[in-house]
Amino acid sequence: MNRNWLYVFIGGLIEIVWVSGLKHASNVWEWALTALAIILSFGLIIAASKRLPVGTVYAVFTGIGTAGTVLAEMLLFGEAFSLAKVLLIGLLLCGVIGLKLVTDQQSAKGGEA
Amino acid sequence: MAWMAIVGAGICEIFGVIGINGASTRKGWPYIVLMLVSFAFSFSLLSYAMTSIPMGTAYAVWTGIGTVGSTLTGMFLFGERKEAKRLLFIAMILVAAIGLKLIT
Repeated sequence: MNRNWLYVFIGGLIEIVWVSGLKHASNVWEWALTALAIILSFGLIIAASKRLPVGTVYAVFTGIGTAGTVLAEMLLFGEAFSLAKVLLIGLLLCGVIGLKLVTDQQSAKGGEA
Repeated sequence: MAWMAIVGAGICEIFGVIGINGASTRKGWPYIVLMLVSFAFSFSLLSYAMTSIPMGTAYAVWTGIGTVGSTLTGMFLFGERKEAKRLLFIAMILVAAIGLKLIT
């Protein structure tokens, strides 16, 4: 796998860490870890999108973040499973990925990304 | 209040992205300040919203608003084309976000 795509996947996984931190952090060290995770995930994504198409990078990154936070809250934090919620989040994710992929086609034609 | 906070967080995220774009292309410190301040507000509001809204729902709606917002900003401020398929994806995100608000 291309090293830049590896950055995108690691950035997406670290995204799940800081989202969990924003909800669950309760002391100075946990907040510091959350802030560090925010800086790391954004740094990796910005580095990756210098070499890869921006729309595709953000689509993959957001996809990992969205699916990952829903799974983490159910598997790790004991939130109840709700089919309606999972389906609606799936629909929202399709819209976000669609919009971001269309952005790449626009940039390829010379439009502002 | 929590849903208002998510909408506010999504709007701050749009300014944060404008800051990133400006900072990466023009290297100006005002863009770096705009980016840092916007994201600080955005993450604080998101954190507040998640005290009463489930984490996955809050994150999904936050990302959706940021994406829709930056697409609309591109269309209305930077003259991108208002293509049918982009409007369709925006509608999908809005329907899903409203649905999530109704069932949460």
